[in-house]
Amino acid sequence: MRHFLTPFLMSLTVGTAYAGPVENAAILDEIIRPGFAQLTNQTTALATVASHTCAPQSKELRDAYGTAFDAWIELSHFRFGPTEAENRAFALSFWPDPRNAIPRTLNALITAQDPSVQSPDEFSENSIAARGFYALEFLLYDDAFLAIEDRGYVCSLIQAITADMAVISGEISQDWDNRYAVLMLNPSNATYPDEDSVTRELYKALGVGLELLTEARLARPLGTFERPRPARAEARRSERSVRHIEISLTALRALAAQLSAPDAELSQRSADAFDRAIDLAQRVDDPDFSEIRDPAQRIKVEALQQAVQRIRTEIYPDLGALLDVSAGFNALDGD
Amino acid sequence: MRGRRHFLTSLFATTIVPKVGWAAVGSPAYLSAGRDRTGVFFLSGLTENAEITFSVPLPARGHAAAAHPFLAEAVGFARRPGLFAVVIDCSTGAVLATLAPPEGRHFYGHGAYSQDGQFLFTTENDFDASRGIIGVWDATRNYRRVAELSSGGIGPHEMRLMPGGETLVVANGGIATHPKTGRQKLNLPTMQPNLTYLSLTGDILETVELPSDYQLNSIRHLAVSQDGTVAFGMQWQGDRGAAPELLGVHRAEGNVRLFQGDEINHQRMQGYVGSVSFDHTQQRIGVTSPRGGLVQAFDLENGGDLGVFDDADVCGLSANQQGFIATNGNGQITRLTDLRPLERIQHAVQWDNHLVQLTDAHAMPKTRSF
Repeated sequence: MRHFLTPFLMSLTVGTAYAGPVENAAILDEIIRPGFAQLTNQTTALATVASHTCAPQSKELRDAYGTAFDAWIELSHFRFGPTEAENRAFALSFWPDPRNAIPRTLNALITAQDPSVQSPDEFSENSIAARGFYALEFLLYDDAFLAIEDRGYVCSLIQAITADMAVISGEISQDWDNRYAVLMLNPSNATYPDEDSVTRELYKALGVGLELLTEARLARPLGTFERPRPARAEARRSERSVRHIEISLTALRALAAQLSAPDAELSQRSADAFDRAIDLAQRVDDPDFSEIRDPAQRIKVEALQQAVQRIRTEIYPDLGALLDVSAGFNALDGD
Repeated sequence: MRGRRHFLTSLFATTIVPKVGWAAVGSPAYLSAGRDRTGVFFLSGLTENAEITFSVPLPARGHAAAAHPFLAEAVGFARRPGLFAVVIDCSTGAVLATLAPPEGRHFYGHGAYSQDGQFLFTTENDFDASRGIIGVWDATRNYRRVAELSSGGIGPHEMRLMPGGETLVVANGGIATHPKTGRQKLNLPTMQPNLTYLSLTGDILETVELPSDYQLNSIRHLAVSQDGTVAFGMQWQGDRGAAPELLGVHRAEGNVRLFQGDEINHQRMQGYVGSVSFDHTQQRIGVTSPRGGLVQAFDLENGGDLGVFDDADVCGLSANQQGFIATNGNGQITRLTDLRPLERIQHAVQWDNHLVQLTDAHAMPKTRSF
């Protein structure tokens, strides 16, 4: 075990295989499991608020929505195991939605006065486009949905969506506690044959988060210089687009800190790179990217995009080498 | 379908004058894309013994390639979502033609020539309509695009010409993607992969779908034996511990058979097959799993599990004189017999996803194997 090696010997072992059971356990016990427990608490609180206050402009309801959404964004890169079972992550967060399935599906339910809103079981059978945070955002913030006169049905729909979100979050959290954490903490099973496979899974989650940032959360609104696409920004209706980037960067910084813990130098470089990106995100004073056509705004977002890209190209591969999970020219290609 | 009539009339119209044949470029047995240590992407020819016969640069990361049946011409395809395919004169390295997909299309990274070498077929995405397309290009007219066919599904990936040369078999992966969301999978809950047999003029001859439990099993890679048995590798999109069989075998008009190794090796694959190939006897099917770093083989006749060879980041796989030959992302090429390494050669490159066999000449043993 490296813990017993002297600093001199440690310097000789840099770059060799290191399966980090301590770090992996810490990620599970300090990040993932409390994170999903927190998400369950916040979505349950949101459902409770919605059960007595379903006016979309209610501050209480919107605050509860924002708090729960924050909790999800912190976890949105853990796309394996319990979140992938039964399409749970999709049901919580259907984004991006390039075909506008969300408003179409919600409108269909409203027009039909679909009775599934009265039954959690039936509601969970609906298209994922009518479920989760992004569907709820339309009902709470989109002008067309705010203008709907039949508030009774929309209220039932808001209550059904929030209740469904609480159920899904609870299922993910329980699945982690009762099943999946055991698999990852005792890696000699079919899902995780060895400690390296656990490390690789957690390392990949960091990659997923960075990819989501650069290729979706930033790239979608940036579009091209000739054609910026502010309407494609994530959660722009609730003006949460930039906030999500900052929350995600902060969460990924913590994950990278755990993964890089065995190497102080890399750990510091990682922290610095994330700090720089977070600082650049905080300088973007355009919460929904609506001013992305303004070159002065765009340049700030491009600087942020480059900072995240640098984490992907300069920190992420070095971390892979440290963890000896870098061999992935084909494995990470995915085709 | 646009251009189809013209394409039909030209199907038998042209006589090809051979230019330089494969022997002139060191008679490579395989093609593979890769990346060298300076970060340059390339396409190489490789001999049976894994020696490089030629290397020509590619504009960006490649994926698979298609070899002209007799001219020393090969098409290197860009990695998905591909915006180029480069036709290379393998004797000089000269770019003979650069294929760009038409507006609203991108390549998926695989393609196949017609038996006479006149037409090149490419798998493509009509991404706004979320529809799989087979592009048809006339190699005798500077690779002019002459027609496009429906692939019979969404997300066509690998495609092979069937023995006899009159049918294409296409792996329609079922996954919708759009360049504006990169490789994001847009339709997992509703995806429906299939295996489609097409005539060269686009008539759908047969569509094979798996039962609904396999709806998330994206059919991606193919191998075809000399008698027309099709082996297909799949990539599971559901919960990773829940992956069902990832290898299937089908014969036209017949039933599908699904193969799976022992539980641990199956789980090690992480729901992901990279390449599929028959061996030199045509009686064994190999599959690679880069995520698990293993090659497995199965007996075609009875589905028997023939074991495993551990090979980190392995992906490319083809038949070799005495079994299989596998390439990996660490630059190694391993010749295998009965899944034991006969020889391993290290090149200072990273070999990309696929090792494409040039002809059927090596499919049967030249010398008696032992």
